[in-house]
Amino acid sequence: MVIQRNRRNFIKATGVGLIGGLAGCTRGGEGESGDSSGGSDELAIPLSEYEDADIEWKQFEGSKINIGAVQHPWVSAIEPAVPVFEELTGIEVGWNILPEQQFRTKRQTDVSTGAGQFDVFFLDQVVNQFRNEGWLQTLDQYFDDSSLYDENWWQPDDLFEASRWQAHGGGYTDEWTGIPITTEVQTQFYRTDLYEEHGLEVAETLEEFRQNAQTIHENGSDVVGTAGRGQKGYGMNIYILNTFIREFGAELWTEFPSDSGLDTEGAINAAQWYSGLLQDYGPEGASSQTWSDVLSTMQEGRAGHIVADANLFWPDLTGEDSQVADSIGIAKAPRPADGEFGPNAYNWQISTSKNADNSEQAFLFMLWASSQPTNTWMHLENGAAFSVRQSVWENDEFRSRVGEEFAQVSLESLQQAQPDPFDEQYPEWGQSYSEELQRAIAGQKSAEAAMTQAAELAEEIYSD
Amino acid sequence: MSTPTQTETTSESTFTRLSGVWNEYLPYWFMAPMVLVMVMITFFPGAYDLYLSLVAEPTLNVLDAEFVGLRNYETAFTRGGAVHSFIITITVVVSALLLESVLGFFLAALVTGVESSRAKSFYRVLFIIPMAVAPVSLATIGRIMLNTEIGVIPYLINAATPFTAPAFLSDVPLLTVILLDTWNWTPFMFIIFYAGLSSVPGTLIEASRVDGAPLWRRYVHVIIPYMKPVVFVAALIRMIDLFRTFGVVYGLTRGGPGTATQLVSINVYEQMFINNQAGVAAAIAIVYLVFVIVLCNVLIAKVGFKGVLD
Repeated sequence: MVIQRNRRNFIKATGVGLIGGLAGCTRGGEGESGDSSGGSDELAIPLSEYEDADIEWKQFEGSKINIGAVQHPWVSAIEPAVPVFEELTGIEVGWNILPEQQFRTKRQTDVSTGAGQFDVFFLDQVVNQFRNEGWLQTLDQYFDDSSLYDENWWQPDDLFEASRWQAHGGGYTDEWTGIPITTEVQTQFYRTDLYEEHGLEVAETLEEFRQNAQTIHENGSDVVGTAGRGQKGYGMNIYILNTFIREFGAELWTEFPSDSGLDTEGAINAAQWYSGLLQDYGPEGASSQTWSDVLSTMQEGRAGHIVADANLFWPDLTGEDSQVADSIGIAKAPRPADGEFGPNAYNWQISTSKNADNSEQAFLFMLWASSQPTNTWMHLENGAAFSVRQSVWENDEFRSRVGEEFAQVSLESLQQAQPDPFDEQYPEWGQSYSEELQRAIAGQKSAEAAMTQAAELAEEIYSD
Repeated sequence: MSTPTQTETTSESTFTRLSGVWNEYLPYWFMAPMVLVMVMITFFPGAYDLYLSLVAEPTLNVLDAEFVGLRNYETAFTRGGAVHSFIITITVVVSALLLESVLGFFLAALVTGVESSRAKSFYRVLFIIPMAVAPVSLATIGRIMLNTEIGVIPYLINAATPFTAPAFLSDVPLLTVILLDTWNWTPFMFIIFYAGLSSVPGTLIEASRVDGAPLWRRYVHVIIPYMKPVVFVAALIRMIDLFRTFGVVYGLTRGGPGTATQLVSINVYEQMFINNQAGVAAAIAIVYLVFVIVLCNVLIAKVGFKGVLD
């Protein structure tokens, strides 16, 4: 017993030290970090927060899980609390944290070769592709196991509907493909000083947004009217355009899998609006702008607006790195005058593969990580601002910390979000679609020609 | 004096026989570890790539895979954009190789002509520095420096010249990729050419000088012909490396706008890790491998190693 106790204390102390070090290496690991884990004997969250759950936390004591993750603020926000999970369950947690692109490559190699190295891994737009290939393990059997899950305690209804929907394969399956852990929703950011200078009102419609961009563009020699993602890739230009497609009354896959909907009037109008906006009032070379370029341009005070980008930009735009920190406003993404507001939202989720050795332990970790106590602690005490739980966004203490404006715009946008449905070939046809859109933004072809070609390519993939 | 027993005689003859076999095949035993390594790191991945290109879905159970013949090859050359990416790659390889060779030779000649050893050492270090930058870092730095709104290069062009800076990554993406690669890898050619120039016998140069040949004639008729093997080997190594270019271009343009800078390596990566089309990716890789091997062999047979071996 003595030896076991010493070993546990040693692991706990080492874990806290390593986690602190790792947190410093990841984005978000600095600044507002409020690691309240204290010394090696003091846990960040009291175990009593989890003891009400009708879950047999200790049933896998002595085992270990391996987590594959991207460098993301979620990792640094949760790491100081991981000793709580280890103490609660007796399950040791190992991390493999990589930059996003390297992680995607490693993850695909891991699941496709059946290596099963990761018991838990970050998952994104490839969810249905992985499920279709038989690499992914759905979680329903674990939700049905009364020793692993307590619905009254975990409260799934507190998760945003959009987050639950994406975790269920975005309408392509009724089963849980993973547990959502972070969400971000599209908003617009604008320069309050420029609005004041030019007497502008915050845009609610696309037309108002365009007019505001034009006014700023034509009256400021060193400021472009707007900036937006033009780069290809499914997290880039099409992530933005998909919002406008839906707001223009069109939809992706009007009839799956025979009609992609990309060449409908609404989709073409959306592409014309977005590419025209960037060509007329965006920076030179808007077609190659990534989200980080857009963020940098805005931070440097070189743009009047960002259209429909992630609310998660808020801390970067109002933080120390921003030259315009005192004059940034946030508002809901614009919509067409006769269209329905429906911003895109994106969730990272954590999942487990069919080849993982410790999927039950992984499920316990997923529940713990996404539970109200852990989620609330991360957002109140450790600098997070991406909760998939509505209760966090409604929490007065959290709203006071992140700012009422950011919290309210994010909450309302998340409640009305219409995320992308990721069918199993989404990455493939999405890549072609984003290439075509990039050509339109670069002025290499018309929006209509680009979207027609994108539709052809998308439908051809499913015709095989 | 004792006589050997029957057992000792048998042991001795077995040992002699084994020793004979060992000695007879001695060169092969020495080569065996290398052959084993080659099989593991070259032939096995190549064979697995070939297998992937002929089946519908990758599986660990090789015998259970659905054989689809050349269907992946057909997809590669229709929907997979293989022809386009081959053209882009050849454009980049030829242009960058020419630029890097000419610039590398020019810089090497300049440094060779410098008399002060301290200055020589300074220039050597200065010209080699770009090669030390990792491709991912180069791409990241390049993206920032070339950004039309916040980049220092467009700023300098606009401020110091009468020209307006183009949008490098969208207006002239292929040229930008070639120039960035040239900046990154000219030092490699410089190093090799500098070593080559340093090895040209001083008596040859002195003799041509005594004969009254001006500098350019000495280079054209004496130095360059003498360096032909060095130039060929350097160009061949760099060419093969250029065919593998990936990180800097992917980081800079992701192969765009559209597919304007989609090298074969980027196409293979996207087919494999974005489109999840392992078969199509493998098919493109196989064709590409064969193409590069054939090209190198033709160059070696028709152009190169005669000079090297002479």
